[in-house]
Amino acid sequence: MTAFVVANLSTREVGRRWAALLLVAGLPLWFYLVRRDLAGQSTRMLTLGIGWAVSTLTLFVVNASRSVDPRLRLAGASVVSIIGGRLIAMTGVGLALVVGYWMLVGFDQDVLHLWAAGLMMLLTALVAAPLGSLIGALLPRELEGALALLSVCAVQMLADPAGTIAKVMPFWSAREVGTYAIDGGSLEMVWRGLAHAGVVWLLGTAGTLAIFQWRLRIARYPEP
Amino acid sequence: MIDWPAVFEAELLRLGLQPGRARQLSEEATQEAADHAGTPADLFGPAHLYARHLVAELNAPDDQRGRQRYAPGPVFLSLAGVTKRYRRYTVFSGVDLTLRGGEVAAIVGANGCGKSTLLRICAGLTRPSSGAVRRTRRVGFVPQDGGTAGWLTAEEHFTLFGAAAGMVPGRARSTGVHLATRLAWRPSRRQRAQQLSGGTRQKLNLVLGELHAPDLLLLDEPYQGFDQGTYLDFWQQVFAWRDAGRAVVVVTHLLHDLQNVDHVLDLGGGGDR
Repeated sequence: MTAFVVANLSTREVGRRWAALLLVAGLPLWFYLVRRDLAGQSTRMLTLGIGWAVSTLTLFVVNASRSVDPRLRLAGASVVSIIGGRLIAMTGVGLALVVGYWMLVGFDQDVLHLWAAGLMMLLTALVAAPLGSLIGALLPRELEGALALLSVCAVQMLADPAGTIAKVMPFWSAREVGTYAIDGGSLEMVWRGLAHAGVVWLLGTAGTLAIFQWRLRIARYPEP
Repeated sequence: MIDWPAVFEAELLRLGLQPGRARQLSEEATQEAADHAGTPADLFGPAHLYARHLVAELNAPDDQRGRQRYAPGPVFLSLAGVTKRYRRYTVFSGVDLTLRGGEVAAIVGANGCGKSTLLRICAGLTRPSSGAVRRTRRVGFVPQDGGTAGWLTAEEHFTLFGAAAGMVPGRARSTGVHLATRLAWRPSRRQRAQQLSGGTRQKLNLVLGELHAPDLLLLDEPYQGFDQGTYLDFWQQVFAWRDAGRAVVVVTHLLHDLQNVDHVLDLGGGGDR
């Protein structure tokens, strides 16, 4: 119940920040337009843009609620309901972005497996929300958090996809599923992508909850 | 037939009175009706209207009625030898306080002496370096600044904080609006917290701290931005909470606030130099 109220109000909060929302929603579009002539490059860059946008939005939402959360805890809310509610909200925003951009790719590009392109974007959006919240939990100041996300996304973009560095990056699943979506090949790539995204999601979510469980802990005093 | 005392008591609870005090008032009303050989409904009218009237009376300023002091209730907060250190620097040490329901304590001292830190320790948001703290589970905390979400309206804040306390949204909103009117504020449905003046945002903070009817209210200089009238209303509200059986701790640096409070905890000189 509390988680859904938090999710609902977080979505409203984000929805009212029109300028920020437009810039965030437009970010993947610029990534896409730069390499629009190449189906593979443009779709992969678009997906990375979605990941960057959703994780940045989550980072700012998590940081903006820093002064409210301790009061919610004192009023009786659990850490899981507060943080879980925000993750639900930001995942929902990410899914809305995915639907829009998946339709764009469907109309504008000749993709071999369109469903897999959708799956690639979906996995990226799902992973991006806990990634943004984890960085927000680790780096409470917005500038530091945004720079850390920038570093992660830059390394993800520049690293050799076959190398080890790319594989430990959070959005490597997009690369695997994307290769199947654009170039075809073995379905094994999709399963590898799903497994990688699952592990990253679990690490991000568990890490976020663990840090906030510690940060938002309330001393349990005995009653007089 | 509707049970008048039960409805009356339930309405008093909804309006923020402590359970013991609500029960006592309900029994007194029933007894008074019996003394007049009638029913409470005949003597006082509808239970919910009489409850509101009574709470309004309790909230009236001193010059409108003789303020009656009630016997202190159970202990809601107890500090024994509480000390806070940051590495080698001791912020305060050996703080003792016992606060009962129906009492107000003021924490005073110079800037940097640890007033807000002590209040956060009382809330459980900061841990003491040593000493023992005992407190009731139901606590409301009002920070000096912040504590609200800028893009949400007041009613959305009521829904959010109400949900945290297990209240359904409709009840949380109606309770929040009711508490706001007691601070002479009628929340707008569209105005966001960031569009409120500093004083009105602090009223929102106060309402959020009180929304779940806590036994113990911890207020950190909550009157920042209040005009003179609102400032006086605030202290009347503090005394109304006290009369309703709650315990209130107020951090303040204004010495003229201290008349009428039951305990003054002076933390002395500050650490800001």
